[in-house]
Amino acid sequence: MQKNNMIICRCEEVTYADLKKTKEKYNCTARELKLRTRAGMGYCGGRTCRSAVDKIASSLEKQKEKDIIPLKYQPPVRPVSFADLGGEHK
Amino acid sequence: MHNGIIIGAGPAGLTAAVTCAENGLDVIVLDEYMRAGGRLLGQLYEQPDGKWWNGIKESERLFQQAVDLGVQFRFGTAVSNIEYLDDMWVIYTEKEVLQTSNLLLATGAAESPVPVPGWTLPGVMSVGAAQVMTNVHRVKPGERGVIIGINVLSAAIAMELQLAGVEVASLTLPRMSEVTDVEAHPKEVMDSLLHVSHMAPSPFVKLGSKFMKGDFMKKMGAAFYPKNGVKMWDIPIQLRKAVIEIYGENQVEGVTLATINSKGDVVPGTEENIAADFVCIAGGLYPLAELAAIAGCPFYLVEELGGYVPLHSEEMETTLDGLYVAGNITGIEGAKVAAAQGHVAGLSIARNNGIRSLDYKIMDAIQHVKTTRDHAYIQFHPQIQKGRSKIQDQWNTYQRNVQEV
Repeated sequence: MQKNNMIICRCEEVTYADLKKTKEKYNCTARELKLRTRAGMGYCGGRTCRSAVDKIASSLEKQKEKDIIPLKYQPPVRPVSFADLGGEHK
Repeated sequence: MHNGIIIGAGPAGLTAAVTCAENGLDVIVLDEYMRAGGRLLGQLYEQPDGKWWNGIKESERLFQQAVDLGVQFRFGTAVSNIEYLDDMWVIYTEKEVLQTSNLLLATGAAESPVPVPGWTLPGVMSVGAAQVMTNVHRVKPGERGVIIGINVLSAAIAMELQLAGVEVASLTLPRMSEVTDVEAHPKEVMDSLLHVSHMAPSPFVKLGSKFMKGDFMKKMGAAFYPKNGVKMWDIPIQLRKAVIEIYGENQVEGVTLATINSKGDVVPGTEENIAADFVCIAGGLYPLAELAAIAGCPFYLVEELGGYVPLHSEEMETTLDGLYVAGNITGIEGAKVAAAQGHVAGLSIARNNGIRSLDYKIMDAIQHVKTTRDHAYIQFHPQIQKGRSKIQDQWNTYQRNVQEV
């Protein structure tokens, strides 16, 4: 298997090549890279690929901001069923 | 209504729960796993005094102590959100919504992934998963494995796998790419191993006994590193090779290794296949601080502590009212340090609940955290002390700025 075909985000099936190309084309931050490719936006909420997406994006940036987490955390931080969210318990 | 809620039943959360209960508080502990212990469950190693540290027994002891004191537990309960409403912390789990004026986040650490071609094949897992399968569930992850990523944790787990009769064919590096950092760089990895040996007793020095102390370290220091690697507990450690691919039809069948130069580049034509039925990826640990981030805690990136850490005081308070942190969420360290921090957090919560005359106890408990750190058997980062000072400085600066405003 080629390095470029390597899947980084399993949930959304985003490859290393997808991320690299997008980063080079748009010169984007971690957040923009996420929004453009959907890496980290799947079922697991980015719990597997978050740091990899962050690393690919930050290799362009001169210096990492020390007091801001690059990819924002948003609730729910664990998968919740629709039934539980909607309060329609059975 | 509870006097305190603790998220995470690892060494920090359990110790905090015991401390709260000893001070007469009514506390409840939530954990997404089905039993108490957290990462402590997987630990099994021989200490310098020759006694074995058995994480499962240690977890059961702490859990029983808490139960005897009346602490309530909810296992299999993941927290999906927390928020501060009307001077109360509201905790959302799948099944219920809880409230408290004192909330402790003892959520521990998570493993960093290291993407390697083929890492989505069945049979590839994090090294922590292999540890839990082996030591907690007593299921072999496979017969013969390769561990990608060389660090204190992966070396200790390699030894544990061997104790369980699982062959570890190789401990080696991932190939360098933009998604790998220092973990793919032989020189960096070697330096960190050497730091480990300079520091207090380490698993390398102790567990590898005379061999590691003499031969191994000398080889590493003198001749940079032999191409075919050296062996630790009969496990080949290969800093001069990297996994360029994990292969297999429907599941892991092996890995392709290639020689790398000291910069980490692959030497063409050196590829070889190594058969294995499972592969562990060891990217190291980082503080699991999602809930602190949602709550709105300010953070600071401290490499020595393993990543972004919520600002906190030595009393284990965050900058937010009634929100505390303890354990690996404050930086990657061993279970004993986490427990000592949990004790401090428990006392701080008790004090905040109006329990009097705890100031001296808290000072003692803070001192105990430092002593425990100084005597730590496994040092995850050689500059841990420096990391702790950095976060303390950030806390102080933050407090000064708040006062000026």
